[in-house]
Amino acid sequence: MITGGRSFVSSPPAFSNDAKRLLVCTGNTVSVFSTSTGLQTGELEGHGAQVTSVIVVPASTPASKVLCYCWTASLDGTIKYWDFAAPELMRTIHIRFPIHSMVIPSISSERVESNGKYPDLFAYVYIEGGKQKEEQPHSSVGQIWKCNLTKSRLVGGVTLAKTERPGSITISPSGKYIGIYEKRKLLIWEIPGKDSEHHGYKKIRLHHTKPFTVMAFHPTEKVVAAGDVTGRILIWRGVGRRTFSNEINGGVNMDAEDRPGVRDNDDADSCSTWHWHSAQVNVLFFSSDGSYLYSGGREGVLVVWQLDSGKKKFLPRIGAPLLYFVCSPDPSLSSISSADNRIQLLRMPSMEILKSISGIKLPSSHMEIYEGFGSGVVLNHTTGLIAVPTENYRVQFYSLFDDREISEVQICERNHQPGDEITVKVNLVAFSSDGSTMSTVETRLPEEGIGSLFSLKFWACGLQSKHFSLSTVIYEPHRESGISCIAFRPTGHMAVSSSYGGDFKVWIHRHEIPTKDLTLQNNGWTCHAVGSYKKKPMTAAAFSSDGSVLAVAAEKVITLWDPDRNILLTVVGDSLEPITTLSFVGKTEYIVSASRGSNPQLTMWSMSKLCKIWSYRLDAEAVACSMDNSTFAVLALSRLSKSMEPAETTLQDAEGVILLFNVENPVPLSTWIVSKAQGGGLSFVRSNPRLEDEVEPKTPDEVLAYVNGAHEYVLFNPYGGQAGKVSIPHRRNFSVSDETERFGYTSIYGELPEFNLKIDQTPFPSMPSEETWKSIFSGPSHSLPPLPKLCSDFLESLLERRSAAVE
Amino acid sequence: MAETFPVKPKLRSTSSKTTPTPESKYWKSFKIPKDIESIPSKSLNYPINSLSFSPIAPHDFVATHSASFTSFSGQTLEPKFTVSAFSDAAASASFRCDGKLLAVGDLTGTVHVFDAKSRIHLRRLKGHAAAARHVCYPRAADKFHLFSGGDDSVVKYWDVTTEKCVFDLLGHKDYVRCGDASPVSDDMFVSGSYDHKVRVWDVRVSNAGSVMELNHEKPVESVIYLPSGGLIATAGGNYVKIWDMIGGGKLLYSMESHNKTVTSLCMGKVGRVKGEEADQYRILSVSLDGYMKVFDYAKFKITYSMRFPNPLLSVGFSPDCLTRVIGTTRGTLYIGRRKGKVESDHLGGDQLGLGVVEDEPQRSVLRPSYFRYFHRGQNMKPSEGDYLIKRPKKVKFSEHDKLLKKFRHKEALVAVLNRKNPENVVAVMEELVARKKLLKCVSNLDTEELELLMGFLQKYSTMPRYAGLLTKLANKVVELRAEDIRSSEQLRGHIRNLKRDVEEEIRIQQSLLEIQGIISPMLRIAARR
Repeated sequence: MITGGRSFVSSPPAFSNDAKRLLVCTGNTVSVFSTSTGLQTGELEGHGAQVTSVIVVPASTPASKVLCYCWTASLDGTIKYWDFAAPELMRTIHIRFPIHSMVIPSISSERVESNGKYPDLFAYVYIEGGKQKEEQPHSSVGQIWKCNLTKSRLVGGVTLAKTERPGSITISPSGKYIGIYEKRKLLIWEIPGKDSEHHGYKKIRLHHTKPFTVMAFHPTEKVVAAGDVTGRILIWRGVGRRTFSNEINGGVNMDAEDRPGVRDNDDADSCSTWHWHSAQVNVLFFSSDGSYLYSGGREGVLVVWQLDSGKKKFLPRIGAPLLYFVCSPDPSLSSISSADNRIQLLRMPSMEILKSISGIKLPSSHMEIYEGFGSGVVLNHTTGLIAVPTENYRVQFYSLFDDREISEVQICERNHQPGDEITVKVNLVAFSSDGSTMSTVETRLPEEGIGSLFSLKFWACGLQSKHFSLSTVIYEPHRESGISCIAFRPTGHMAVSSSYGGDFKVWIHRHEIPTKDLTLQNNGWTCHAVGSYKKKPMTAAAFSSDGSVLAVAAEKVITLWDPDRNILLTVVGDSLEPITTLSFVGKTEYIVSASRGSNPQLTMWSMSKLCKIWSYRLDAEAVACSMDNSTFAVLALSRLSKSMEPAETTLQDAEGVILLFNVENPVPLSTWIVSKAQGGGLSFVRSNPRLEDEVEPKTPDEVLAYVNGAHEYVLFNPYGGQAGKVSIPHRRNFSVSDETERFGYTSIYGELPEFNLKIDQTPFPSMPSEETWKSIFSGPSHSLPPLPKLCSDFLESLLERRSAAVE
Repeated sequence: MAETFPVKPKLRSTSSKTTPTPESKYWKSFKIPKDIESIPSKSLNYPINSLSFSPIAPHDFVATHSASFTSFSGQTLEPKFTVSAFSDAAASASFRCDGKLLAVGDLTGTVHVFDAKSRIHLRRLKGHAAAARHVCYPRAADKFHLFSGGDDSVVKYWDVTTEKCVFDLLGHKDYVRCGDASPVSDDMFVSGSYDHKVRVWDVRVSNAGSVMELNHEKPVESVIYLPSGGLIATAGGNYVKIWDMIGGGKLLYSMESHNKTVTSLCMGKVGRVKGEEADQYRILSVSLDGYMKVFDYAKFKITYSMRFPNPLLSVGFSPDCLTRVIGTTRGTLYIGRRKGKVESDHLGGDQLGLGVVEDEPQRSVLRPSYFRYFHRGQNMKPSEGDYLIKRPKKVKFSEHDKLLKKFRHKEALVAVLNRKNPENVVAVMEELVARKKLLKCVSNLDTEELELLMGFLQKYSTMPRYAGLLTKLANKVVELRAEDIRSSEQLRGHIRNLKRDVEEEIRIQQSLLEIQGIISPMLRIAARR
């Protein structure tokens, strides 16, 4: 079983002390990426729920830079301490409440006073839930508690704040202040330099008229910046001069004129507002010397403000809303996390993008608003790729087995403005059975009835390049009506597109043998035939596996056609609701159809008898048929599961059920309960040989791939017979673990041909981290160090590597 | 990092015709030279019965028309002289193999022989009882004989020096209107007659009648030998037929793409182009339907077709592949000339070049002290095997793209309306629709800008390519800006024009519907059969 497709941008990442590794919270694990290659080098496994914070223990001396320890906090209520070089779990602290955010203020000062006895290390955690069960469950679920990490327990009686929902805690770079934002106010606490369990906290509040979305502390001065939902950035100077200074109210002047912009009697000298962002600010960050402020938001533009003058510099066209900005200990490196599940590493003063680490594209929050804008995730049967239509009119190809992005194809050449209302979208993607042809449909929504457009595009895949190039564009293939389905014929170059406008069109690829000379043959797709049945909307289409029969769902009936001669063969059945999915089961004569709506139905039809075999009242989100045998899998939303099987009523937390059927038998072969089934996809995928020899010797040819609504996926063997919950993977195989093994050899002698990994960023064998290699052999040959010195360095690096690999 | 894209109009559909093959490019490259466009000789007022090219460079050609023939220079394409020494219309002309003599037959039955250069009338060959419609010199080496065919259905073989007919070749039962001499043998020739027959003659076996007889099944208008000498092509009725002579007169192919009688054939050659079509022969056929077609007899395929406004009577193609002449019934000559080096220029150049000693100036070696040193090699052309690294193409942004990037939507719309390229205007409008800003733009337009938009809508909203968007937009514009339109005189004028155009379009649509109503039952009936 393989899982993957996790979000890299659920929480801010963290750099290691040498800035050569980046720790990213990916679901239940923390993934370690190399910043020089952008590839994954390790993973910290152990948390039982989503990891929300990762804090690297900073190095106070240059010698301790090699130390690789970090603290992580997770929604499963534990705080863990890791050595992420090994990787190895060192300690676990149980909090028992989901932790949404954690900061450790004194983490950097820990090593300073090393007089034999370390002071206790305290963390502040933002947890969900609490002991006040007698109160209303809705109010104050978010609480900030203090935790003694050294003694592995919570500090009793210290609850800094109670809020309606848990958010994130912001800490100042010096560790002196922590702050949170809640609705229209900021709360800031001063953390005493020598923290102990019993300590009073001074608190100030800053008010604003709009809800805050982000806040940041200046590294040296008493300056606090905060962004709000309208895109304004507020900067308070001299924050907490009254409260946090030791002398009690030295000379307080309460005059409003002397404190421009400060509301009520907030404790600040002045407040200024900058407004450039047109939508909510997500990122605020002061540069380490405190002279610049970085801000970013929905527009996907990183703005650098000069703090004194307010002058701006921009890094435009990042392509998606920005979420986090993190600086590394190396001042020339920082990272931006953007909402399209991509972390980009920036070289700092010039702000150029060095590398990008991208995961599977996340479903857009407002993509499914419109009718007919399906989730559109398509799995390719043969190649094991998943095609995800993205918000910026592209299709991302993501390898299921490697858990890595393969390529992206720009479907529609239009400038994407992140944060805008979506009016153009790639909403259908289909592949031919051999994966060589792709077909996409993009839709432009009309403005008050003007200018809607559907365009159907056919893409051809080059033999070697594996890159899709545009072959044919058809504007408005079905006049003004939308396309409901595209299906490719398993044999031969034929496709069918069915439309809600009441007709379907059969497209054929023109067979023109290209002549030897330079004449470019226009080998495009042309319309071969048009068919309609009683002017009913055609809602789904499918070819039989031998390509001889075309089944088109005309709203509630299934019409069968001869695709070559375009003759209506027969009409089958009558369902209660319009059929949304139609599929031939393997090489058998059976068709499975699914209809949704108020009377959902999953029906099995026999083509030889032209009648219904069996049917279920089941809301099928997706149907996948095995290519080889007569089984098929159904992803059903379980809000109707009670009526179907009484056993599942007990499992209320599951949202969906995957059922595996055989055609003849209406009793499912096996059942799996899954979550986030809404908008999910299901497909049988031919397992590649790599999977076979690594997972099980007798793996069947096909594995079932399930992608949930959040674009997380799992691959498992449907015939293994393990019924029950789809659990966390037992083992993961990232390709980079291979890479660390062949580190010494390949770096000298080049890559061996049988390590055929699809590395698209680097053509040469890439090293997971910048080792002594680069420094040893860089430079011209005459300036290399003498051989004895070189040799010892060389061997030393090898030994280092080996020991790391063994542990 | 996302790229930026300029706003692009929708792609136009490309059919196979619009992507020209190298061969159609070749045939299109025969253009009327600019310098002779104005000369009146293009129009000779009478039907041009025949065209004949001299086999010798510079390939002068003659055209027979009414009772005269005109000789044209092969270099300048201008008429050199006109001879009107005939008592009746001249019908056919033929150059001798060395290009020095020219034989012309006229409708009285006489065949005249002229010196092609000095136009001295040398011989009169009298013997045909009716019009001598066809004259032909042997093409290989024989300089003393010629053939002629007449409306008396006799083919005569002449000895030119003595003005005597060597023998008559009998066999045709109707007018002999055409013929050709074999390109490989001086003794073989063919003649075509209105009795539907094509006969192959061999003067060595003259008394035995024709060697071979082919039935074209239509009155034969033209017959030619193909360059190998083993195939002939005949034209008559709407057909052009290819026959295999060596294979015993077997019909190889019948081309039936002309709609009216094919009047003349000649051999063409695809010369001086790269690709596999280079130096291949083609059959050019012209017809009364005004089409010239180029037929590839190796693949039995029409490779090019060109339409002329008049019925075509005769066609000629120069052996050096530079000139193509077509004569019409109205007397117009369509002379097409390819750009290319005339061989005589070559010769002249060489002659001049002989005397001049090439004296290349000694180029000094470039040193870093010269400014030019730093610019050296900029004009260097890559050699064959070099690996080229292309500089990424810079995306061109026009004014409206820049404005759209700055979200200045109304300015972008006005800017593109001023450029008067309807495709771009529609593309910008579609982009504005995608941003949901089009109607806002419309409502913000000034009166002058609105005028611009109304003018555009009036002009293009009924064009099928843009109608889908523009008719709806016109509706909205009228709805949104009714007040402004009422108050402005110019806008009211635009509205009147728009209304008129729309009414016109509706009329057209109705008549189209009527036609469809007439046709569709017929199609139904046809489909049933």
